[in-house]
Amino acid sequence: MIGIVRKWAIVTTVFALVLNALSLYMVFFHAPVEARMGHVQKIFYYHVPCAVSAYVLLFVAFTASAAFLWKGARKYDIWALSSAETGLVFVLCVLTTGPIWGRSAWGKWWVWEPRLTTFLVLFLMYASYVLMRVFGGKDPKTAKIAAVFSIIAFMDVPLVNRAIAWWGSAVHPREVTLDPWMKETLLVSFPAVLLLAAAILLWRVHLACLEAEGT
Amino acid sequence: MRFFSVAWLIMTKDLKEEVRRKENVLASLFFAFISLVLLHFSVDEMASDITKAGPGVLWIIVIFAGSLFMGNIFRKEEETGTFCALLMAPADSGSIFLGKFLANFVFLSVLESFLVVLAFIFTGFPLHRGTASLASVFMLVTLGYSAAGTIISAIVAREKGAALLYPLLLYPLLVPLFIAAVSLTGLAISGAGILYSPWLRLVILFDILFFCAGLILFEFAAEE
Repeated sequence: MIGIVRKWAIVTTVFALVLNALSLYMVFFHAPVEARMGHVQKIFYYHVPCAVSAYVLLFVAFTASAAFLWKGARKYDIWALSSAETGLVFVLCVLTTGPIWGRSAWGKWWVWEPRLTTFLVLFLMYASYVLMRVFGGKDPKTAKIAAVFSIIAFMDVPLVNRAIAWWGSAVHPREVTLDPWMKETLLVSFPAVLLLAAAILLWRVHLACLEAEGT
Repeated sequence: MRFFSVAWLIMTKDLKEEVRRKENVLASLFFAFISLVLLHFSVDEMASDITKAGPGVLWIIVIFAGSLFMGNIFRKEEETGTFCALLMAPADSGSIFLGKFLANFVFLSVLESFLVVLAFIFTGFPLHRGTASLASVFMLVTLGYSAAGTIISAIVAREKGAALLYPLLLYPLLVPLFIAAVSLTGLAISGAGILYSPWLRLVILFDILFFCAGLILFEFAAEE
């Protein structure tokens, strides 16, 4: 498995680097500066794709955890742990870029707003998951119970989102109308960030495979 | 039928043991009492308008005091070496989960009744307004809390740093249930109906989801 993962990791890294370079160019030179928020608005091109990447990675963690419980093969646990860790990094990116946007758009660093708060709860859940893996070390028992927790945590996400949406006011716009240049930039930054997420995940899986081989 | 009789046996065994040992039960009830007193001095609205701060304060105490009890329900079996024996017994793993879940549910119900009466006496919590709605809210939320608490307790039982991990894993999962519980309790004590509230549907969905997840996943969480 290591050879295939390494090959795909190199391929996705190359594509991710090229696309991110193009995306950076478009963010600063192609997309116009937003009239009200100014340059800070440009964080939007990374904030939204990071949020989508985080959801995708946590879904991979959920699927791999279910497969690990069902089949019991070690490789599924490697994918589950790697995607949960990478997902946590992207959740942190959302939680960092969100307040920067919020300060400029709403005048406050933190607003208890449905989507941002959902990501805060996601961060707490998956940080606990990673902590559990750190405490448990390489014990196979920890892998199994962490998989159980990962499934439960992912199932809880829609409920968290609904609860916070009903509780708080919706600050995020429901529909966004974008300038054509902004739309083109977003269309490039989406695959760029998704590919970056895939590359980081594949390198993390590669590292975990090497560690597993060494033990 | 055997499934339910095993669950019933486990529940009665656990409750008998807790009543005889007393330490867990007394510690949780005393913790609830002291928390109520401390929160009374720290939250301004507790003295001026209990209907505003009351629901949040009550549920915070229930969640903290309840987890003191529930966090130990599998750990004490692990410490005494009876967890393995329980798993080796010729019983479905789902029935073990159900037994532990019922024991937690009964204890939490006792804790909540105790706390609500204390809140009525010390802070004037309006117990008389919408009593039936309030009782339904407490029962439904406790079902979900017990289910989530039981499965997480099974997950951490054999882990290093179980006491530390238990609240870290459990509390983030409880966010939707907590928000719904506070909102529904607020509605109930204000005399408004809770039947058509979306929060009620959310609580029921949480109950079903965590109960089914517990029944199915307990086997994986508990096996050696």
